[in-house]
Order: sequence, then structure tokens, then C-alpha cells
Amino acid sequence: MDNSTPERIVLAKIGLDGHDRGVKVVARGLRDAGFHVIYAGIWQSPEAVVRAVLDEDADWLGLSLLSGAHRTLVPRVLGLLQSAGLGDVRVLVGGIIPEQDVAELKQFGVAEVFGPGTTIEAIGQFLHARHTRSADRHKAGAPEGDRHRLSRLISAAARGESPDAGRDLPGARARVIAVTGGGGVGKSTLIGQLIEIIREAGRSVAVLACDPRSPITGGALLGDRIRMPSRPDDDDLFIRSLATPSGHSGVAPHLDQMIDLFGRFGYGTVIVETVGAGQGDTAIRQVADVVVVLVQPETGDELQWEKAGQLEIADIVVVHKADLPRAESVESQVRELLNLPGCRPVPVVRVSSSKGIGVPELWAAIQERLGS
Amino acid sequence: MSRIERIEPAGQALSPETVATTVSGRPIALLYKANGPGGPGPANGGQANGSQASPDQAHGDEEPGQYPFKRGVHASMYRGRLWTMRQFAGFGTPRQTNERFQFLLEKGQTGLSTAFDLPTLMGLDSDNPRAAGEVGRLGVALDTLDDMLALFDGINLEQVSVSMTINAPAIVVMAFYLAAAQERGFEWGRLRGTIQNDILKEFHAQNEFVFPPEPSVRLVCDVIEFCARHVPQWNPVSISGYHIREAGSTAAQELAFTLADGFHYVERCLARGVAVDDFAPRLSFFFNAHNDLFEEAAKYRAARVVWAEAMRNDYGAKNEASWKLRCHAQTAGCSLQDKQPELNLIRVAYQALAAVLGGCQSLHTNSMDEALSLPSEHAVTLALRTQQVLAYETGVTNTVDPLGGSYFVEALTNELRADAATYFNRIATAGGMVAAIDAGFFRREIADAAFAYQREVDAKRKLIVGVNAFVEPDEKPLEVRTEGDQVEKDQIAALRATRKQADKTEIERCLQEVRRAAATNENLVEIIVEAARARASVEQIMNALADVFGRYQARIA
Repeated sequence: MDNSTPERIVLAKIGLDGHDRGVKVVARGLRDAGFHVIYAGIWQSPEAVVRAVLDEDADWLGLSLLSGAHRTLVPRVLGLLQSAGLGDVRVLVGGIIPEQDVAELKQFGVAEVFGPGTTIEAIGQFLHARHTRSADRHKAGAPEGDRHRLSRLISAAARGESPDAGRDLPGARARVIAVTGGGGVGKSTLIGQLIEIIREAGRSVAVLACDPRSPITGGALLGDRIRMPSRPDDDDLFIRSLATPSGHSGVAPHLDQMIDLFGRFGYGTVIVETVGAGQGDTAIRQVADVVVVLVQPETGDELQWEKAGQLEIADIVVVHKADLPRAESVESQVRELLNLPGCRPVPVVRVSSSKGIGVPELWAAIQERLGS
Repeated sequence: MSRIERIEPAGQALSPETVATTVSGRPIALLYKANGPGGPGPANGGQANGSQASPDQAHGDEEPGQYPFKRGVHASMYRGRLWTMRQFAGFGTPRQTNERFQFLLEKGQTGLSTAFDLPTLMGLDSDNPRAAGEVGRLGVALDTLDDMLALFDGINLEQVSVSMTINAPAIVVMAFYLAAAQERGFEWGRLRGTIQNDILKEFHAQNEFVFPPEPSVRLVCDVIEFCARHVPQWNPVSISGYHIREAGSTAAQELAFTLADGFHYVERCLARGVAVDDFAPRLSFFFNAHNDLFEEAAKYRAARVVWAEAMRNDYGAKNEASWKLRCHAQTAGCSLQDKQPELNLIRVAYQALAAVLGGCQSLHTNSMDEALSLPSEHAVTLALRTQQVLAYETGVTNTVDPLGGSYFVEALTNELRADAATYFNRIATAGGMVAAIDAGFFRREIADAAFAYQREVDAKRKLIVGVNAFVEPDEKPLEVRTEGDQVEKDQIAALRATRKQADKTEIERCLQEVRRAAATNENLVEIIVEAARARASVEQIMNALADVFGRYQARIA
């Protein structure tokens, strides 16, 4: 395995069981062991899990269940993986699984079952010892099916391989909306709302959700897709999580190539989610047609200057979590900063994703900016 | 050479790190004296500080049964009344659970406690596709009033106190229970028991929510208000730290988040004009009993004081009963191991001791095989016997609050009270309960603590016997229960039979009434009782409520 491309593992809880202590501990532990962990969240259907594996081009799938429904749900997931051409993805199961069921699950094709008392180290070692499979897989020929092929090509692009892949395909350039802002400001939740609007309008959309990876281990915990709608039967929605190198711009390298691929595969809009960070802001400007910067009400009175710096690249500013106190004062501070003499006019929109306020207004502002 | 030495070299087990902190990572001094930690040792002079006593303590809060109840809610504690031995049970069809209930009552259990299956906990009927594989598995399946009647068939509901663990659909299940009691001729005024009905900890920890936080809390308060008027001996909420702890929190987080949840319910009830002394005496609590014996006992003592002070001083309660924090305890499921599972018997016994030294009012002891599967009858019997040995053989019941006045335990009690106050401030700073939920505050705090603990275990700074120390190379597996798939088929058949007989027009009329009332401030309990009588199912009623309230997305990490 090339050290610059850590293995990707999707972790999910399937069924109705919400006991997520174990899976969250494993997610953090594997991140620290250098993996790229995509956490898909609780209450996942087998279909949603398989869609996540496909879109994320995962090498591994870890299913967590403490409900006793494993004999019903795990075989369903394995069957769906097979029929999606993902039979080579290795499946791990964690939770309370009686001894006699462990053998049965392994017969169905589960690679390993981890019960209570398993150390993170043991899981990491198991994964590391079997990493060769994904290296082989990346060398293997193009898979059947457009979505699967796109997913592989996105991975290749992310690794900096085959820069001309997909160039033979016809297809228009996608319109690119960048959504940027500090951690915890609610970017993914807002993108989830935009996805709903775009899909209701009958348009296709792809999301590239970028999160930083650890400078020390190279690992990353990517949880953005939890906050976006899960529509396993919707072929016009594609969500990919990306770990961005630390010290870089907050933007994944080869982003332009990935955007190009989405356009060629028929996605009209690509939303790029990034943590706004210093010089990265200019990088995102180069690929985006419209840059939406999110700020939120702070506990302090003054808008922090570091955040204010981000406003320079904004085409639209969203005051997010607008239902919280102090939203109004943040809005007026933002307006004051933006209305310096000689500056281009920047719309400021107040949005509360949790209350469903302001999203249509934001979408209208984005469309106006895109000239559509 | 002894067997233990052969497995683990002597001296390796008790490294300095393993004894300097509690299970929750709290620093502990080598020795405590009258004014706090005083002995030599690495933790001395750290956070542990015994000088945080409140003015109440200066007055000597030494009397049990008196404000602020640090030493217990009753003057004579277990001499006057032993704790209720209440084992949680439920699996399969209502008929099967009814048989388990009859078995437990025969074995000398003094109260019933009902576990529902995941589809019921999530407000889904047994034939919903999302319920596949989960029907009757972690608890009993409940779809209609007919199931509730079968569940308690032959049991006198005026004589046995009944606890029901259900949250998002609590108002529906409570309505089913009231309808069942009425149909069998029992008076609501004589029903005794508890419904968990605590939605806030679902958002923090257990993830069994359906509606957004605000309408969810409204339903909790509807039940509290209705019971205060019509079911006065019933505990309409069991404000629960158990699940917060199971999700990996520290003892201090369990204490603080649970009490903060309680305060939120109190404030919402007051806001709708219910007088505090009309509902507060029936608020009940549910805490975890984890491994760290003294910190756990101190947690119960601290909880009583913090609650009593707030109820009297902040919420103006005049009735002494409103100040008393009464609680159920359950040993820590998350401490159970699948390696050398018989050792779980010993863990459970110590945990039960902690709960009793802490002064709980009722107790569930876990079965030794619960990290492997649903408990066998043999394991359930041993768990109940553990409580009986504790109650009748050890002598811990003979005197009130035997740990009172221990330098160590009093210092821990004070530290936990101070920790809770710090968390209350942080929740307020985050914008209060609902804003803190939306911002993921509780979940992040708990996940951080869970991860920190796992790292301690992986690094062997915290030892778990049989897991990361004293491992047996060749273990014999324990006999465990095995589950068939027949339950799902039987339950779906029963549901279809009830549906076939029910009057669909009457059900639709009742559901329309539920929707109408949900959009107003009207109390929903009696309206849902009406729907239950018409044989509307749990899912039908929950869907009618969701039509008005919406659903809360599980899009949280």
C-alpha cells in the first residue's frame, strides 16, 4: 500500500439500534491508526450502507449491531454488495454476536467479527495485515456500471493518477458551488438542505466533502455525509468524502479533475465543502463559480478577525444558525465589513438549517450569482 | 506458583497509573483527612479538594430523611423499607413476556419492569420493513391494545408496581396501559409504577428519538401533567443517567446531564402553569451503578443534594416530597465482558453494593451473560439472588448511609457537586438545553470521555480482568439463549388479526383527533387513550403525531 493513500473504511450502524458508543470509539481509533474513516451514522438501511460504500469507494465496511438483528441484516448487506459489483469489499462486524452466529456470519462472507473487549489496536492490526487487497483492486480493470466507474476514477484522481481518465467522455462542465467556513458552523447540514432543493428541482448534484487529515498519522474521520440526506435509490445524487492533506489549503489536490469527472458523468452541479483556512481560500476561488462563506453567532461580541478574513473571498455570506441570539448583531457586523468603499456587493443571507429558514433565499442568491 | 501468577507476572497489575484515578479518570489521593486529601501521593494537591463544602454542610446535613437528603430520602432507609428488586424483562411476544413476569413474581421479585423491542421503542409496528429482524428481540413487541392486555394478563395491576422502559412513544404506551387497566376494571388512581418517558437522554446518548426536541419534551410534560391529575401514584418520568453513562460518560457527566434534564422538565411544566408541588413529588430518577465503588456511592449522595437545593431554592417547591430525589439503579451493562463471563457475577455484586451504599430505592442487577446474548433464566435468577444475598446476608441494610462521614466519600460527594455546577454553567452558556442538543454539546462530551476511557484500557492503565489482564487462554463458552425467527411471524399475524377486526373509520376519526390536538396545547393523553381503545396501533398514532411535529433527523455524529 502506498503510504500517501490510506485505506478507506465506511463504518455504519444498521437497523434500529442506536447504541453508537462502540462504533464511535472505533472510528476515532482507526483514524488515529492512519485510516480514512467515513462514519455513516445510525439507523442505516442495508441499501444506504451499500450506496455509501460505492460512492466512497471504500476498501472496508464495518457494521455495528448490538440489537441481535445481525442474522437478518448482515446477509442482506452482503447480498447487496455482491449485486452492486462490490463483492471484493471486506466486511467487518462489531457488537454483541453470539459465538454460534460468528461462524455463520463468516460463512456468509464476513471477514471478521469483533466482540466486546476488542482493542482498537487489534482491529487496526487486522486491517493492516490485509491491506494488499485494495492495492490489487486499484490495479484491476474498470468496473461495470457508470457510478462504480466514476467512483473509481474520482479515487484515482484524488491519488493524482491517470490525469486524463474520463477525458474521452462527452459532457458539460458542472457548476461549482463552494461552501466554506470554520468547524462546527454547520456546512454539511446546510449542504444537506441545498441537496433537497436541487433534487426537488429535478437537477443532479454531486458533493465533495473535504476534511483535514492528521499531519501525524495521515488518518481522518470523515462524518459529513451523516448530515446530508441518504437516498440510496437516487442516482442523481453522489456524495464523496475527501481527506485533505494537512498544511495544505483546506482543499483537496486535483479538485479540478474531480469536478471535471462529475461534469462528464452528467452531474450539473458540484458542491465542494471545505474548512476555510488562510491561503486555501484562494485555491477554492479558482475552482468555484460561487463561494458561499458561513459565519455563525459567537459567544463573544466581536466577529473574530480570522473569520473576517474569509469574507474577502465570499460571493455570498450566510449567517448560519440564525435562530440563535446575536445572529442579528453578527449580520450587521458582516454587512459593515463588506460595505467598504470600492467593494463589490455581497449578499448576506440569514439561514437556520434546523428551523428550515432562509434556505430558498440562499438558493435564489446562488442561482443569481451563477446567472441561471 | 499460583495460577494467577502463571498468567500474569506478579506486580504487573497495579501500576501507579491504575490506582491514581477512578473509572471516570478523577484523580484520587492516597489518603483523605478531615479537610480533604492529606496523605502523600502523586494526586495530593491536585483537583481533589475537600474544602468545597456548601453552607448546608456547615450546618451539618447529617440527618437522613431531611433536607437536603444527602444521607438518604428516608429517615430509617432500608430498615424501614428495603429497596424494590426490579429486574428488567421482556422478549418475544406479549404472551412470552407475560410468562417471564409470572416466573419472576414466583421467584420473589417485588415489581415488574418491561423492556420493549426496538421497533416499539422507535414507534414502528412489527410489520414495518424497518422492523425486520428486530421484532421481539431486545424486548417485547407491542403494536396494539390487545398486546398490552396479553402482556399483563392475570397480573393484578393494583397490587404489582409496573415499570415500562419507553421514551419517544411513551405517551402512546402509557395510554395503552391506562386503556388496558380500565378495560380490566382497575382504577387509574390505584395504579403504581413508572414510565421512563425521558426523551432528553435519547438525544444525548441513546438515539431513540422520533420528533424534534421541543415537541418531544411537550409529550413528556403531557404525561407528567396528566398523571399528576389522574394517576397520582404513578411516576410519569424516570429521568435517566443510566444510558448517558452506558454511552461512555464520566460519573460527573452522568450526574450533571441527568439533573439538567430534570430541571428542563421542571421548567417546561412550570411554563405551562402546573404548580411545582403538584408534579415534582412524582419525578423519579434512574442512575447507573458502575465499577468505581466509592465514586458511585458519592454520585447518588451528590445527586440528592443538588436536586433538593434546586427544587427548594430555585423552583420554590414547598412540599418536602418535591425536594426528594428518589431513584432506581441498574448495574452497568457496559462493564460486562464476554471473556470469563462468570466474572460478571462479581462485578454486578460490587456494583449493586455501590447502589445500595448510595441509597437507591430500587435496583436491577444485570445477568452475567448479557455481553453474549439475551439472558438465560439461570443467569436472571442468579442476578436476582445477588440482590437477595446483599439485602439479607451482608448487613449493609442495618444502618443508614454507612459511608456518611468518610473523609474520602464526603470529599468525592463535594467534588461531584462542584462538577455538576460547572456543567450547568456550560449548558447555560451553550444557550440552554435545546440549543446545546442542537449544537451536539452532550454527544461530544460523552464521546470524548468514551474514547479517553478506551485508550486507558488499550494502554492497560485501566485493567479489566479477563480482558486485558489475567486472560484465560482456553475459555469454555457459556450456555446462552438462542433466538428463533418465529416471534416475528407470530407477532405480525396477531397484529393483522387485530387490524382486521378493528373499525377503520373509527381509527381514522381518532387519529384525526390526535392530529388536531397535537397542533394545539391540549393534553394528548386522554385523546390517545381513545385511539388505543379503537385499536389504533403504535405506529399509526406516532405517524399522526409526526404529521404535526415532523421527525428529527439522525444526522448527528
